[in-house]
Amino acid sequence: MIPGDFQFYKPPKNKLILFGVIGFIGFVIFIGVALLATFHISSWIDKPVIFAAEAPDQPIAFPHTVHVQELGLDCTFCHTNVTKGASASIPAVNLCMSCHTQLGDGSTEIEKLRDIHAKQDVIQWTRVHRMPDHVRFIHEAHVKRFSGSRQVVEKITDSSNQIRIIEAKVINPNAKIGETLDIAASGTCSICHGDVSKMHKVEQVRTLKMSDCVDCHRENNGPTDCTTCHY
Amino acid sequence: MANPSWGMVIDNDKCTGCNACVIACQSENNIPINEEDHFTQRRPIQWIRIERYWEGEFPNVKARFIPVLCQHCADAPCEPVCPVYATYHNDQGLNVQVYNRCIGTRFCANGCPYQVRHFNFWEPEWPDSLENQLNPDVTVRTRGIMEKCTFCVQRIQRTKRESEKNNTSIKDGDRQLNPACVNGCATDALVFGDFNNPESKVSKMKKKELGHGGHGDHSDHDGHEEHDEKRGYHLLEEYGTHPSVVYLKKVDYESKTVEKH
Repeated sequence: MIPGDFQFYKPPKNKLILFGVIGFIGFVIFIGVALLATFHISSWIDKPVIFAAEAPDQPIAFPHTVHVQELGLDCTFCHTNVTKGASASIPAVNLCMSCHTQLGDGSTEIEKLRDIHAKQDVIQWTRVHRMPDHVRFIHEAHVKRFSGSRQVVEKITDSSNQIRIIEAKVINPNAKIGETLDIAASGTCSICHGDVSKMHKVEQVRTLKMSDCVDCHRENNGPTDCTTCHY
Repeated sequence: MANPSWGMVIDNDKCTGCNACVIACQSENNIPINEEDHFTQRRPIQWIRIERYWEGEFPNVKARFIPVLCQHCADAPCEPVCPVYATYHNDQGLNVQVYNRCIGTRFCANGCPYQVRHFNFWEPEWPDSLENQLNPDVTVRTRGIMEKCTFCVQRIQRTKRESEKNNTSIKDGDRQLNPACVNGCATDALVFGDFNNPESKVSKMKKKELGHGGHGDHSDHDGHEEHDEKRGYHLLEEYGTHPSVVYLKKVDYESKTVEKH
């Protein structure tokens, strides 16, 4: 070959299109894997940063802000089972209708509720807090542990800016150490669920991973035997 | 008060082999339905099973039954072999199986001399009509992990919680506390209770029939004269697993009279 005779290989047009298609498919697969990896790794370490990052949409946009903050309803008014059993329980449509037969005419969300009630149906809420099947969380025991007359012993704020409860440490940020507080059952919910009264859409605040549970159990002298939660 | 040491006394003299305990256990603990195929492959899941033995020749044949469940051994052969610490002994004398730790090596099942550990070879399935009868307090075990009798730890935990709530102590022989098999037993052949409580029925029975009460006291029979009056024994005692289940042997009056004369 004579030097300088070199010529770039010019692929025919159909081959170019083929390369382009293969390259595009490869790029799409790469992006997909990267997104999946981001979702899985982030939800493994902490909370997912994509796909499930936002609070889910509910079939009826129930505003906790109105019911709790403005009307001042107690958590246990609707979630009746929280002081009685394992599950906090979602209220029946009848409980909603005890007020909303009279109140809230003209609101589209309340019309949805009335439709469901007329059809004798149930509201298919999207679940926000879900434990794996091998975990038994008993609301009653935890509410009982932290409610009642408690003395503030110590208050720390950890890196994630969540106030952890130690012995009789309370969610009330203005409480002084040594002060005795009467905590209602509904005063304890925000330890894990965050301030739901300010949420337009309910979202999960804490990771609720096992380390979260075990840390709190250790700090509050809770049982750490496996059979406490896993059976 | 000291931690309880849960245990069971099984009276073979009372056992009729009716399998009510097996059914009670299946329904309490979300055990998948064993089909014929599972038995022919020798892979059925039964946390408690009735072992049947035939004794004697045809006209004088006798059926013998032994209910076998996890013995919750104090020196359990299954515990040290687990590479992920999925099975361990807790402070209440229970041999605990932690499902979320289990990776399914099946070393524990090979180590168990009682053959009471069961591996989930298949994804558990129920007919649609039975989906709502599953016990919400018990994990549904997935394929690939080991499971075994828990002494119905969900019932123990619930009773403990209730008693803490009401500021009462756990009653001996409480039906809320008893495992499903004990509640299901028609003849009271199975008795469940706390061996650390000297007043409990199981402690008294163990003291009477085995010669020593209380857990942790595993001295052998001291060659007492009324040795043959005592019916208590442990299953496969010679392995030294120190089980928490005491068996009372069947009293065979006919053979006894034959021996004496």
